[in-house]
Amino acid sequence: MIEIRSVTKRFGSFTAVNDVSLDIAEGEFLTLLGPSGCGKTTLLRMLSGFETPTSGTLRIDGEEVTHLAPYRRNVNQVFQSYALFPHLTVADNIAFGLRMQKVPAPEITRRVDEVVELVALTGFASRRPHELSGGQRQRVALARAIVPRPKVLLLDEPLSALDAKLRQQMQLELKRLQKHLGMTFVFVTHDQEEALTMSDRIAVFNQGRLEQLGSASAIYHQPRTAFVADFIGEANLLTAEAIARSGTMTRLRVEGGLELEIPTDRWPAGGSKVVISLRPEKILVSKRPLEAEAIFTARVTDELFQGALDRLHLQTESGTRLTALVANESALREAIHAGDAVWCGVHADDIAVVGPA
Amino acid sequence: MHALADTAPAHGGRRAGVVAWLLLAPLALWLLLFVVVPMAGLVVYSFCQRDDLGRVVYDFSWENYARVFDPIYLKILGRSIGYAALTTVICIVIGYPVAWYIARQRSPLRERLLLLVMIPFWTSFLIRTYAWIAILKSEGLLNGLLQFSGVVTAPLSLLYTPTAVVIGLVYAYLPFMILPIYGSAEKLDNALVEAAHDLGAGPIRAFSHVIIPLTWPGIAAGIMLVFVPAIGMFAITDLMGGAQVPLIGNVIQNQFFRARNAPFGAALGVVFTLLFILTYALAHRRRRATTA
Amino acid sequence: MIPLPGSRVITLLLAVLGLALAPLRAANKEINLFAWSEYFPQSVLEGFSKETGIRINYETFASGEEMLAKMLAGGTAYDLVQPPDYIAEALIKNRLLVPLDYTKLPGVKNILPEYLNMAHDPEQRYTLPYMVSTVGIVVNTERVKEPITGLVDLFSPRYAGRIVVVDDARELVTAALYVLGYPLNEINAKNLAEARPLLAQWMKRIKLYDSDSPKTALLNGDVDLGYVWGGEAARLWAENPKFAYVIPKEGAHQFVDVMAIPQGAKNIEAAHRFLEYLLRPEVSKAISDEFPYTNPNGAARQLLTPEQRANPASYPPGDRKFGTFRHLGETGAMIDELITDLKNAR
Repeated sequence: MIEIRSVTKRFGSFTAVNDVSLDIAEGEFLTLLGPSGCGKTTLLRMLSGFETPTSGTLRIDGEEVTHLAPYRRNVNQVFQSYALFPHLTVADNIAFGLRMQKVPAPEITRRVDEVVELVALTGFASRRPHELSGGQRQRVALARAIVPRPKVLLLDEPLSALDAKLRQQMQLELKRLQKHLGMTFVFVTHDQEEALTMSDRIAVFNQGRLEQLGSASAIYHQPRTAFVADFIGEANLLTAEAIARSGTMTRLRVEGGLELEIPTDRWPAGGSKVVISLRPEKILVSKRPLEAEAIFTARVTDELFQGALDRLHLQTESGTRLTALVANESALREAIHAGDAVWCGVHADDIAVVGPA
Repeated sequence: MHALADTAPAHGGRRAGVVAWLLLAPLALWLLLFVVVPMAGLVVYSFCQRDDLGRVVYDFSWENYARVFDPIYLKILGRSIGYAALTTVICIVIGYPVAWYIARQRSPLRERLLLLVMIPFWTSFLIRTYAWIAILKSEGLLNGLLQFSGVVTAPLSLLYTPTAVVIGLVYAYLPFMILPIYGSAEKLDNALVEAAHDLGAGPIRAFSHVIIPLTWPGIAAGIMLVFVPAIGMFAITDLMGGAQVPLIGNVIQNQFFRARNAPFGAALGVVFTLLFILTYALAHRRRRATTA
Repeated sequence: MIPLPGSRVITLLLAVLGLALAPLRAANKEINLFAWSEYFPQSVLEGFSKETGIRINYETFASGEEMLAKMLAGGTAYDLVQPPDYIAEALIKNRLLVPLDYTKLPGVKNILPEYLNMAHDPEQRYTLPYMVSTVGIVVNTERVKEPITGLVDLFSPRYAGRIVVVDDARELVTAALYVLGYPLNEINAKNLAEARPLLAQWMKRIKLYDSDSPKTALLNGDVDLGYVWGGEAARLWAENPKFAYVIPKEGAHQFVDVMAIPQGAKNIEAAHRFLEYLLRPEVSKAISDEFPYTNPNGAARQLLTPEQRANPASYPPGDRKFGTFRHLGETGAMIDELITDLKNAR
């Protein structure tokens, strides 16, 4: 549906988007994720036509749109600020795109009514934007963007202005809507949880570059760069060096002294030192010996109660410092406290090599 | 999404307290002293007569009003409205792009450009008008330039023509059009323009369907600030138009200082003011009707 | 739009304030002078103050009518006013002037007899002539080669769009009455009806009206002919003798600007001292140096250079017919309406 080929965008000496290539499939919910200033919004604005790439090409539905004006593209955008027309009623806001397309009036009425019902705004059609709540405005913006039936819907942090509860509800609603319409959604956010919840695939951006593209699970479980590992979820990022190789497994010595084994095929070609990522919740912790591919003992230096989870700061016997997240024990089970000596376990599959040191 | 049907913010009625009235008192006094009292004086004068020397005689009469509706003065009023309307239209056509351009600039440049718009106010209106005379006169700057560059062979007759009057009026009132439109344009969120483009509106329809309606308060304020004073203007017609075509401002000024007929001048002024209050009220009512 | 009533309130307030402060001021230590703009050299005012210690507050107006309107509005208590003759006549008729004390004005002997006991003040009780002028034709002889001798030549179709005329309804009507052969003060419906078609023709040919500075358009080259105040013409001639001054053969309006003391003046004594000072030949000459109108002071004329006396606009040849304006009552409005209507018809 969308082909992005070697797209670069510079503003003066600043490179906002740096040589990005990306394909987005029809009906896909793709999220552009990254911190502010990473280039995700600029890429979205190039898709909508508000910015023109410095180099590279963009195709939407087989048609080259690199230099096509926004009003000639079959895409619509939901703006971060919603950008509702304050002088028009809800119905007129929604009908705007259809009027621009010179759709006959009866059809406009029918389609507007339809979408108003779809986004649960029945009864609000004759109000003006300033008479609506934030959530209602958000839905008007959504309705206005989908009613012209664009090939692609672009969403620029559409939920960022909503409070946490409403945002969670809207995430589900949006996902459901996207499935219902079968429309391609390109969604920009800096909120990794939002990205993980909603997306078919996530494209992680950092400093203008596409760091990693993959399903939510792939991005989470197999981060390919330290940035991705750190930005999505939480990670123990540790430098490690190979000390022995035995067939399919390679033995690593992690900073501080802990030794672990990973499958050899994950070891990058060349280089002797790497950075590995180990998710805190993947570290098994117990007061008794446990089963895992790698087992070591450690001392709990700190314990932070976080409701559902307990955050443990560990120091292994060899001196390596790690953070672990464990399910909060009920009173029935034995609790782990600061100062305790514990057994820890790690599975080789949970260790990701995220780059050379 | 049905779960999200939250309510719109409520609009509560407010009541002004004593403090609010106290705060309003200086304004009320100001209005009383500089609007109500002079207007009342004008109304009283307009029903009076003048004596041999031009002194106002408090002798009630409708005569002045009967004279106001003489075709002579109606024609002058019509012409004044025509000139003011033309001035207003030209001010919009020139002022809108200028205001829009300034509003779209980044901060330091924007303030500097605004300053350029306001700089003419630092000199007296008369001096600026004389500067235009120096430019437009037959041995003036413009003719010199045109003749030097070979565009014309004989000097053009520019000064003391209706064109000169319109140039003078547009020049005098252009900032009053630019500034309010700038005020509206500056507040206009660029995302709205982008949203219009995004929904398929090309530059022209984005302008007519979104930009114009949203900057309309500025345009309307500009029209009020240009059109109304332009009708009453007399100095420019005298200085740049050679006092040839009388506008209503000239006639009123003439009644007070030359013909020494203050009551008739007052009657002209009252009718003129009423006409504007009426036009404004009608326009306002229509606006409220369309927004409701 | 109309500043007058508002300013009246303010002047009223100021007057009340002035009245309250009045006793604090020593009498006859200052003079409130209300006079034409550009009519008193600064050196003359300063010279008087230096000599007598009396301060002069010089307030100006741009037309006799404006003077009358402001004087009657009763803001400042003026000590000396400078009306044109016909306004002075109206003021005298309405008993608004204080008779002069000639025992304090021995210099009156310097005034030439033809400028005394004129129609506006036949007994010479209330006014002293300041300067005299005519209204006549200025010709830029570089651009206009044909001889111009009268109003009919001036307003010929040949010069359409090349004429400046003072923006004064009565002067225009007077010109027409001269051409028609009527006395210039016979303003009535019949005469005006006759003047109307003539004026309608003339006014189509006038490029601009300017009372304040009609010389400007002539100097700028925007027009080649003018029907202007003699003083303006005199200054044009002094600047460049190509600007010839012609007293129309049909006759010309001559006006005298006079000095008078209005009723309500607070510093009558000081006002007399200033009048006597103005009558001095050397002071009067200094005024002529800067403002080359016709000086009615014979002793002062003796002091002028031959060049100054040769200025045809200041001292036109004496074989022309002059007339002065008399005060018009209600008929003034007819003139105003006629000219407004004709301007409007263009």
